[in-house]
Parts: sequence; C-alpha cells; structure tokens
Amino acid sequence: MNQMNLKRSILITFLALSVFGCATLPRDPKETLRQIHARPMRVGLVEHPPWVVRTNGEPAGVEVDLIRNFASELGTTPDWHWGGEQEQLEALQHYQLDVVIGGLTDRTPWSKYVGFTSPYFKETYHVALPPGSQLQNIKGTEVSVEKGDPVAAEVESKGARVVRVDDSSNVNGPVAAADWKLEQMSFTVTNEELDSLQHVIAVPPGENALVKRLDEFLYTKRFEMKGLLQQQVAKR
Amino acid sequence: MKFPVKPYRLPDDKQQAIARAKRLSWITIGFMLSIVVVIGLTMGSSEAMKAVWIEDILSLIPPIAFLVGTRYFDRPPDDQFPYGYRRAVMMAFLTAAVALLGFGLYIFIDAVMTLVLVEPPTIQTISIFGRRIWLGWLMIAALVYSVIPPFILGRMKQPLAKELHQKALQTDANMNKGDCLAGLAGVIGIIGVGFGYWWADAVAAIIISLEILRDGFSDLQHSVAQLMNKRPSDIDGKPDPIPDKVQHELERLDWVQRARVRLREDGDVLTGEAFIVPRDEADLLNRLRNAYDVANAVDWRLHDVNIVPVRSLE
Repeated sequence: MNQMNLKRSILITFLALSVFGCATLPRDPKETLRQIHARPMRVGLVEHPPWVVRTNGEPAGVEVDLIRNFASELGTTPDWHWGGEQEQLEALQHYQLDVVIGGLTDRTPWSKYVGFTSPYFKETYHVALPPGSQLQNIKGTEVSVEKGDPVAAEVESKGARVVRVDDSSNVNGPVAAADWKLEQMSFTVTNEELDSLQHVIAVPPGENALVKRLDEFLYTKRFEMKGLLQQQVAKR
Repeated sequence: MKFPVKPYRLPDDKQQAIARAKRLSWITIGFMLSIVVVIGLTMGSSEAMKAVWIEDILSLIPPIAFLVGTRYFDRPPDDQFPYGYRRAVMMAFLTAAVALLGFGLYIFIDAVMTLVLVEPPTIQTISIFGRRIWLGWLMIAALVYSVIPPFILGRMKQPLAKELHQKALQTDANMNKGDCLAGLAGVIGIIGVGFGYWWADAVAAIIISLEILRDGFSDLQHSVAQLMNKRPSDIDGKPDPIPDKVQHELERLDWVQRARVRLREDGDVLTGEAFIVPRDEADLLNRLRNAYDVANAVDWRLHDVNIVPVRSLE
C-alpha cells in the first residue's frame, strides 16, 4: 500500500516536473531574454549582403528584418552596432551584445566561444544554366562566380574554369550561385551541387532561453526565407 | 617437448561461468556501440555530450580486452609457451585498468577545463512534429538510455568476476559503474544547465570522476602488483587465504615436518612452490607425488604447485 503511494507520488512529481520543465526551462544564466524585455536589444551587425546590408540610413538585409521582427515580437527595439566579425563576437562572448548577425553559418569556428541558434535556413549552391542550354560535362566548362565568393573553390574542384564577375545576375552562361538566386534569374539548376550552407544567428554563450525563443521565431519564418532573400536582391 | 604436468582445466561449472562472462562482454560491446550511436546523434555541439561520447568509446576497451584475454588463456602449453597462456588475462586486466584510469582522468580534466575556461554550454532546439524542443531533453533521454545497460550488465558481471577470480571482468564491471555514474552526472548537469547553472555539468563530472579515478587507480595498482607476482589477493585486493590452506594441508601429512608455501597468480589460477622439510627420506619420490596431489587439490584454482624437498627452511 505504502509502496503504491510512493510510486504514485513519484510519478506525479515526475509529470509535474516535466510539464513545468518544458514550459519554463531552459533558463538563461545571464538572464538576457528577460532583460531585453526591459531595454533595447543590442544587435551586432557584420556587413554581409543580402543578410546584413549597410545603407546611409537604417540598416537593411534579410537578417536585419528578421531581428527587427523578433524584437517587436518581444516588445522591445533593436539597438544596432556596426563592426567587424571578430570584434562583434568577442563583445557577444562577454555579454556586451545580445545578438550578432552577418550571414553566419554553422561552419563558424566561434562555436566554442559564443552560442548559436539551430540552423534556420539551408542555402544550397548549384551550377545552373541559362534557359534552353545544356551542360555536357562540367570539366573544362567556364562557370561564372561572383568575385570573392568562396564557392569558386568548389567549382574549381569539379574541374570547371572559374570566371570571376562583378554581378552574376547579368551572366549569360553557366553560373554557380545559391538556389534562391538562380530561381530568381530563372536559370536551370543542374545536378552539380557545389555546397550547402546552414545559416545561424549568434547569441551570448549559454543563454539557452534566448536560443530557444529565437529558434522558435526563426522556425516560423522558414518558408519565407527564400522570398525575403529574393526581395532583398530585387530592391538593390 | 613434453613435461610431466597435466594442462590446467577449469571445472565444468566454471567453464559455464566463463562462457556466460564472455557472452556478457559481447552484449556489453553491442550495447555500448548502440549508446555511442544514440549519444552521437543527440550530442550536437555540446562539449559535455561529446565527453560522454568519448567515455563510451573508451568503455569498449575492457570488454574487448577481456574477450581477447579469455580467447587465449585456456590454450594448453606448447613448445613456445611451456607454462601455457594463462597470463593472457593479466594483460587484459592491465589494459582494462589503464582504460578505466584514462576514462576517469579524461572526465576530470575535461570538467576542470570547462570550469576554468568558463564555457557555458549552449544547447539549441530541434523541431519534432512542428514544435521546437530543447535538445537538452533529448540529451537526458539519451543519457538515461546510456545508464541502464551498463547498470544491469555491471551487476551481472560482478558475481561472475568473484566466482571466476577474473580481475579483468571486475575492472569491466567497474567501468560499467563508471559509465552509469558519468551518465547520471550528465543528466544532473543538463538539468542544471536548464535551470541556468551552466557549471552544474562540470561540477557533477568532477565528483563522479573522483570515484572513477579511485577505482581506476586501485585496479591499475592491483594489476601491476599481480604482474610483479605479488602474493595472491582476491578480487577486492584482500589477501587470499589459499596459500595458508595449502601449507596447512601439507603440514597435516605425517611425514612432513614443516612446509612453507609461496604462490603467485597466473591470471585466475594460482601456482608456485611448496618447500617441505620431510621427517625422514623413506619412499620420498612417492611421498612427494602424493604431496603434489594434495597441494593441488586444495582449491580448483591451484595448478602445478611444485613440491621442493629441503633439509631445513633456513
């Protein structure tokens, strides 16, 4: 009889704990999520179009818009800080910023020092062709890549010849770019997958409540990402 | 070359026990591999989970060492190994002890580094049925899974290790205990992280690492001592009463004036010499043969205890 009671009370405690746990845990060691309800959200910006775009006025870009939305959902306002990646992430590591955006991906070497959200958008790169043309063999083909885009290395490793251009949307020939962009150019995507980037947003280390809240927010936007990126490029 | 020594054979019930122990070791390897996979799937970028993962890989070493050792230990002596292969399990014991000590050291150092470098773990969410679930809960589920098999297997190995005097198996059981403790510490740590105490993880790990280090260090000491032919001890390191029993049995023979027995452990088996001072030298060869049989019959673990007749024990 006693043992039954004990078992039952253990079960009830366990259930209560798990309901309570799922609702209010995890918590932030440094209370960032709670604090930004009461003060502006300090956002570190690293220029990286189309994610974070520097203009004469207010910052623009897909991630800037996302964070603006996130802030208003939390009932707070963003306070923008421009800077370089290392500087911003070091400030984040020491809780001097609440979020850093700049087209970061999960390949970042910073994950030991700051926290990151789960990947919220997968950006796949392919070789694509103008409508109507066909790719015989990627080896030796001239493929256009925007200057400074690291995907050029993947193109080279496939045996293609890289042509570096200022703007890949004006090219009339094989191009290597992200799928959302190729779709906008109405190019035909080939089977030649080059790379796949998982985009993340940086948060202070260990602030798990903030990560969860931001993850939930980004998850609701997952189907809008492609459209937002295309709009951003169209605006330019 | 042939020697007038019968190869050692385990009693039938012990043979069965060895077969069971081997089976348990195989099951351990299977479960540990499955745990390595489950933890690997949920570990994400968590350093604490990565540590658990490495620990689980390390804990594959003792059962493998035991299986390798027991594969050879029963082979009869041959020209190359005239004393047989019994000591193979001592190598397994040493290997397992080093693995256990390394396991404890790894947990300890990793946890101290986390505290010193101030690395609060960031644990993200994943989507399950359209909801974002904190990965911490999944990690706890994986850790709870990782605790159950070693807990049960460790409990099953302990009595076998005692029965068979297989110290490598005992160390494997200690490793299972360590796995259990490490998993529980991981659960406590993640719950702590959930409540915002990022250091909970590391503190829990340090406490359990001390227990594992204690086991690992004593097992290592014990295995080195055994390789050094220390006087026999039981599975817990306490002196074994068998040498005294053998001496007593020999001194009960009416033609024996005094006896002094010196034994060492060849793995699970005990061997060595009994020095005997006979009262007279009549029919000595037959008496010695009889003393040999008496000495070796005292316990199932005795094998090839040689009788050395001497004039005095001085």
